[in-house]
Amino acid sequence: MNRGLALLALLVVIAAALSLSWGDNGLAPQDIVAALRGDPIAAIILGTVRAPRVATALLVGACLGVAGAITQAVMRNPLAEPGLLGINSGASLGVALLVIGAEGAVGHLMPLAGFAGAAVAATAIYVLAWRGGTSSIRLILVGIGIGAATGAVTSLLTVFGDIRDVQRALAWMAGSIYNADWTKLGWLAVWSLPALAITWCLARDLDLSAFDDDVSCALGLPLQAMRAALIALCTLLAGASVAAAGPISFVGLLAPQLVRGLSSRHAVRLPAAALCGALLLGGADLVGRLVQLPAGLLTPVIGVPFVGLLLWRRRND
Amino acid sequence: MPNLDAILPGRRRNRRALGLVLLIALVPPMALWALTVGSSQIAPGMWFDALMHPDGSREHIVLLDIRLPRMLAGLLVGAQLAVAGAIMQAVTANPLASPGLLGINAGAAFAVVLALAFTSIDASGSLVWFAFGGAGVAGGCVYALGSIGRGGATPLKLALAGAVLTAFLTSVTTSLLLLDQGTLDNLRLWAAGSLMGRSLATVAELAPYGLAGLACALAAARPIMTLSLGGDVASTVGQNVVRWRLLAGLLVVVLAGSAVALAGPVGFVGLVVPHAARMLVGADYRWIMAYSAPLGALLVLVADAGIRWLVGIDLPVGITMALLGSPVFIALARRRSGMMR
Repeated sequence: MNRGLALLALLVVIAAALSLSWGDNGLAPQDIVAALRGDPIAAIILGTVRAPRVATALLVGACLGVAGAITQAVMRNPLAEPGLLGINSGASLGVALLVIGAEGAVGHLMPLAGFAGAAVAATAIYVLAWRGGTSSIRLILVGIGIGAATGAVTSLLTVFGDIRDVQRALAWMAGSIYNADWTKLGWLAVWSLPALAITWCLARDLDLSAFDDDVSCALGLPLQAMRAALIALCTLLAGASVAAAGPISFVGLLAPQLVRGLSSRHAVRLPAAALCGALLLGGADLVGRLVQLPAGLLTPVIGVPFVGLLLWRRRND
Repeated sequence: MPNLDAILPGRRRNRRALGLVLLIALVPPMALWALTVGSSQIAPGMWFDALMHPDGSREHIVLLDIRLPRMLAGLLVGAQLAVAGAIMQAVTANPLASPGLLGINAGAAFAVVLALAFTSIDASGSLVWFAFGGAGVAGGCVYALGSIGRGGATPLKLALAGAVLTAFLTSVTTSLLLLDQGTLDNLRLWAAGSLMGRSLATVAELAPYGLAGLACALAAARPIMTLSLGGDVASTVGQNVVRWRLLAGLLVVVLAGSAVALAGPVGFVGLVVPHAARMLVGADYRWIMAYSAPLGALLVLVADAGIRWLVGIDLPVGITMALLGSPVFIALARRRSGMMR
């Protein structure tokens, strides 16, 4: 067992424990034990509010970390992540269309709309970047273009929508986990756990795709099919997490970068990126609760200085 | 310095000059047409009356207080952003460089929102300095972030660094607006990039910065063209490359910053217009910059008034430009991605 993985896992457990006990109603460790023994008040706080929230934050973080690891391997660029490639803004557009376009209560449909938006955006990026095959540069640039176009349509909706709908949509689009519950967590698990497992099985192919297109082909990788499958997996993971928590950027960028040093093999890197993503988002949610801001607005604030630092350290690679 | 005018055949130069004159001549009639477009019908001849003998009638007020500043703002913003984009593309030798993509607009917008949220400043003449500061800092950050590593500032790295910084600034701006619904309601139009609701006073306060920037840019067209040949060539022919790069950066900050202070972050004008100009006049940046000014002014004016005229809804021009411009960006990325690594 890799020592780095074990350390990350330990940190995730500590963050989860802190997150479970911290809040408007502080719970000491003995309260958590009491809840497990059946104390009704502690059990309600834990069971209906804190536990689903913490679990959602960790799972979404893990999905984003793995989705980022896929994107960075396929695009061969340390700055590539689902949030910058138009997938998140496609999801935002889906939700904005639903919230502002439809009448009445549509909260339960928001995850589905986000997921559909992410899938449409990813398909559009893939199709438009296709020119007798895809190239990683075209995928990135077309992704930025699609992001701008969907962003424009979203702001079109926010300009003309009713201000209350707009604020509801904007709060979701900022990325937040505050209204997590067991049902949403269940849907997230159904979508993401199989995708995570499949990605791990493809770890060897991800290792190979780090080489040039020519080398990968010569090593026997069915390159275009592989790329399509990996982008589909990435959309599934990103879409599921956007659906559960809104678009959260920079976790997918940072998590794989932070654990790059652990191993050069994706069989280790993928679980490490998952743990690191869980740690980042769990931490951001915890801090966000303290300063009354959604976690999705905190991740960029942590993320951007880190990006600068990482790029600087890798300047001679 | 090489004198291209002496090498070029005279007929080609005359054709370019004629085209420029035609473009500039096209601006006044389009501007007058833009004054006639809107929800209330106003005869085209009325503007003359309104300017000469304003009598306080409803039509005159609509013309002078609503449509005239909007039209002027459109012309200014379009010309400024297009020329800023042309300068950036010349200096960085980068087909994707433009104030919107490289985070300069987002930086200026963020600084203005910050000033509105935390200080009591609301005069455009003071806000514009925040816009300059934000534009300068954001542009510097993106360039620094994008030129780390081997190969320097490639188009791909700059575009990604711009996207990273824009994501960051947008999320902080959204946080500010979320915490304060009053500001959100006031600013959501401006934050999308819009010419609506500018007063003639605001335009008059910001126009000097923009016009001075445009004049300086056209005066500096020759050294900027030399820069576009690459740093090595430019220093070989005796140019102080560092000084002119800094001056070009300053011009971009003034042009884009005051445009954002006037109309919010309007994207893609600075990307699309210089490319259109290059298709018309070739690779000489003196002509590209000269063509970009009227082309950008016409584009923003027509995009703003044309949507009102065609579909009758009052769409913020930033959204129209993003809808028109992002397909062009995608086409550029598809066609020229081989050289962008």
